[in-house]
Amino acid sequence: MADVLKRLSDEMADVVDTAGASVVRVEARRRLPASGIVMAADGVIVTASHVVEREDNIDVGLPGGEAVSAKLVGRDATTDLAVLRAEAGGLTPAAWADMDSLRVGNLALALGRPGRTVQATLGVVSALGAEWRTHAGGKIDRYLQTDVVMYPGFSGGPLVGAGGAVLGLNSSALLPGVSVAVPVATLRGVAESLLAHGRVRRGYLGVGAQPARLPAAVAEQLGQETGLLIVSVEPDSPADKGGLTLGDTVVALAGNAVRHMDDLLAQLGGDVVGTGVPVRIVRGGQVQEAQVVIAERP
Amino acid sequence: MASGVLLQLNAELADVVARVQRSLVQVHNGRRGSGAGTIWHPDGLVVTNAHVAARRSLLEVTLPDGRTAPARVIAYDEARDLAALNVDAHDLPTVEPGNAKQLQPGQWVMALGHPWGVPGAVTGGVVIGVGSQLPELPPRPHEWIAVSLHMRPGHSGGPLVDVSGRLVGVNTMITGPDVGFAVPVHVVKAFLREAFRV
Repeated sequence: MADVLKRLSDEMADVVDTAGASVVRVEARRRLPASGIVMAADGVIVTASHVVEREDNIDVGLPGGEAVSAKLVGRDATTDLAVLRAEAGGLTPAAWADMDSLRVGNLALALGRPGRTVQATLGVVSALGAEWRTHAGGKIDRYLQTDVVMYPGFSGGPLVGAGGAVLGLNSSALLPGVSVAVPVATLRGVAESLLAHGRVRRGYLGVGAQPARLPAAVAEQLGQETGLLIVSVEPDSPADKGGLTLGDTVVALAGNAVRHMDDLLAQLGGDVVGTGVPVRIVRGGQVQEAQVVIAERP
Repeated sequence: MASGVLLQLNAELADVVARVQRSLVQVHNGRRGSGAGTIWHPDGLVVTNAHVAARRSLLEVTLPDGRTAPARVIAYDEARDLAALNVDAHDLPTVEPGNAKQLQPGQWVMALGHPWGVPGAVTGGVVIGVGSQLPELPPRPHEWIAVSLHMRPGHSGGPLVDVSGRLVGVNTMITGPDVGFAVPVHVVKAFLREAFRV
């Protein structure tokens, strides 16, 4: 076993070279271009939603050097993902990594193509965790944080593991100041939904709400200390039609306790659109039941 | 773990650093702290940044063996941010020049210098990219090597080396705590060729 350092360095450069064949330049904003990942040979590109600032005149720079025009298929700002269709064929789709074998301390490379050539930074997997929600309410299947440097224009590019396969999509906008990636499962799920429907379906109640402490007696009765105080109701929204009003405190939806905003968002996935669910509220110090039909978020 | 790859890696990293440190000098310009320099020729030719030479004609360098000697600025190019110094010393150890044109993104490199005055310190990372059209950079007529490592004031003028300890660039500037830029070794060669017509 000799020249470990040289072999390591050569293999990292090889990984960048190979994985870089699926990394494109995305020109959809006025300042510096960003990056994207080839999902399908016929021009399907996934990138970060926040780098797609215009919906027309989008250009994609291919690894071979050619630039082609692209259309926005759809975007999901909550997970910061967007899908483009570039007028190109014969592209090299990314290889997706098996996330189950990934461990804290493993090496990872961030790739980008803000210019003509592929660029790379190196880091280690800093933290792996369970499902989490972005500030915008998007559900990410697991937490994947690294210490790779997000060089300007790297958003939308891949985080690549030691095996050369894509672990996720890097975005500097998901959690400012921390390098987090959208892992493969969420990346592919959202991209497939955008390809099929042009959007990601999410449930909609039509209320503005904030966490509030429950009166002591109610808290004891329900076994929870907080609920969501309704501070606004959209006219003709599911909440309005279901009879919810300002000042009600939502404590459960479909039988599941609602203590914080996350609890509510977790129950408003695309699968519940169009279904009727019971809502438990506290009104005038009394626990009451109402019924709402969840709509699709506009 | 049993194979000891990490231990081997550590030993090889330390070997490369120890070898390159022999060709690293400190350059004192009489102002804030000190910059770094790289021994280019055994007969006292040292390369550093123009901004380290700071428009002075006479500087002082501390050689790797601890000797301090006066250094004369014999060539200076602000556009490339390079300067050549002559020290009255001989049989100095040089760093073998590498090939920056063959550098690939993802390759391991190390920068040596005296960050915040800490002598002979090293920082390691990978090549981000090489070229003249990199984001964040002032327009210059030559190429840069962008590297993802922790360069600091005091690394300027020091060597950027590859895994074999070959000189690929001269550390020159940073655009943030994690991104540094080096002037590629072929630009240094062109500077010396033009200055001395050799």
